Amino acid sequence: MKTLMNMVAAVLQEFGGAVIFFIKIIRTWRSSGGYRRPVIQQIAEVSTRTMSTVIFAGVFVGAILVLQFDLMLRRFDAQALLGGLNTSATIREVGPLIISFLLAGKVGAYTTAELANMRVTEQIDAIESLGTDPIRYLIVPRFFGVILSSIILLAIGLSVSILGALLVAQTMSGMNLHQYLASIPRFAGPWTLFEGLVRSTIFSTIVATISTYKGFTASGGARGVGRAVTESAIYINIYIVFGNAISSPLLEWTHDFTFFMIGVIGRALP
Amino acid sequence: MSIRFEDVHKAFGTKKVLDGVSFEAGKGEVLFILGKSGMGKSVTLKHIIGVLEPDRGRIHVDQFEVSALFKGEARNLLPKVRQRCGMVFQHPALLDSLNNFENIAFGLKTPQYAEKIGRTLGADEVDRIVREKLALVHLDPEVLTLYPNEVSYGVQKRISMARTLAPEPEYLLFDEPTTGLDPLSTSSINSLISELSRKLNVTSIIVSHDMACALSIADRILFLDQGKVVLIAHPREVVKSELPLVKEFFEETLSLLPPGWSPA
Repeated sequence: MKTLMNMVAAVLQEFGGAVIFFIKIIRTWRSSGGYRRPVIQQIAEVSTRTMSTVIFAGVFVGAILVLQFDLMLRRFDAQALLGGLNTSATIREVGPLIISFLLAGKVGAYTTAELANMRVTEQIDAIESLGTDPIRYLIVPRFFGVILSSIILLAIGLSVSILGALLVAQTMSGMNLHQYLASIPRFAGPWTLFEGLVRSTIFSTIVATISTYKGFTASGGARGVGRAVTESAIYINIYIVFGNAISSPLLEWTHDFTFFMIGVIGRALP
Repeated sequence: MSIRFEDVHKAFGTKKVLDGVSFEAGKGEVLFILGKSGMGKSVTLKHIIGVLEPDRGRIHVDQFEVSALFKGEARNLLPKVRQRCGMVFQHPALLDSLNNFENIAFGLKTPQYAEKIGRTLGADEVDRIVREKLALVHLDPEVLTLYPNEVSYGVQKRISMARTLAPEPEYLLFDEPTTGLDPLSTSSINSLISELSRKLNVTSIIVSHDMACALSIADRILFLDQGKVVLIAHPREVVKSELPLVKEFFEETLSLLPPGWSPA
């Protein structure tokens, strides 16, 4: 029981530390400028580092998902819904989730290791001692680089995933292309894209915050770097799962509320 | 113009690292801080530049009370204190992503340096200062275009010193500057520290294990043990001390000193 309490306390302490660190990043960003170049540099680095994995995973995720949906829909003779169901699930849920896990594995781990190494070799202390704020110089560009590149990666990942699904649906499930495409608008519209974008932004913010936080606060030499990377991976995955659980009902509620308000306004207008 | 510690306490968790440390380093003085590993020597230096916040006590760097600069708007004054103090770390701590030129020039491009000199430096001025500081640490300009991982550890240490010297700090803080160096490089870095401290007439605080070097170049030596100052004295008095820690250090060093050696 005591061990469990200690674990909960440790997780809450980590969470609190990460939230304070997130606030620090936002404050630093708001109080200073000149980030365009380093952020673009980070976007380019993150995107090129992750692109091939996202494309590779995207194609297979789309293919696997469409095969699973096909198996289920076949039982109810509802294959005509395959395109819509698969595209909606990919954009809303699977795409953002898979891309975030990939970001966590590749960019998150790399960022934590890089910053932790800088911390234990006193590079961050040196930056500070030369009168430069390390959060401004090191963290803010990496933070926004991860978030913004996740949007680019999401767009590419979703596109290849949908194309992969389309290809498999045609070749392996014998699906008619016209029928497949025709069902998409019934399940996936602008709101679906909005949901995917919001989820992806939430998850990538988690990746960016935790990976920079764990790297920045690392200590204890090479072992400390290893510990920081491991903890970063664990916490990112836990928080993404929690984030997903919380964002799903919230987005559903926002959807209902928005369309209810549109209806109310529509009825009130002459 | 001084660095002053008044009853400074610091603990990491349950481990007390500084336990009521008080001392003062005056203008142009070379102060060595000696002690065994884990006795709070590096922590002392990190408190001066405000990288660590004391739990209790006061730290003054000139007119700034560093220990009071950790909250609210006062935080904005920390970079000004750091601008006065150049620190050479235990590791070279050079930024891997920048070449050696950019590393040395790093401190010249900060807003604090621009504020200190009242303008922003032009590219040719930065170039001149970088080359000037490189010459001070006895390195050739060929290393400037290389990256830190392309030069030896000893050269990295010298570049790190040049980077510290570039913004012309009033205080030089050395954190075990000879760690990880072979005996020849150790001796050459020690001579360099001595040369720089005297030539630039800046206050130097040097954290070290190297008693021989301390006895040769220090104005005063401070011994830290269990987070407390056990002795602060001129090298002449240090060699006469009966304190067990000091005697232990001195006996270990005796064999390394040249024949006929006497304190500076």
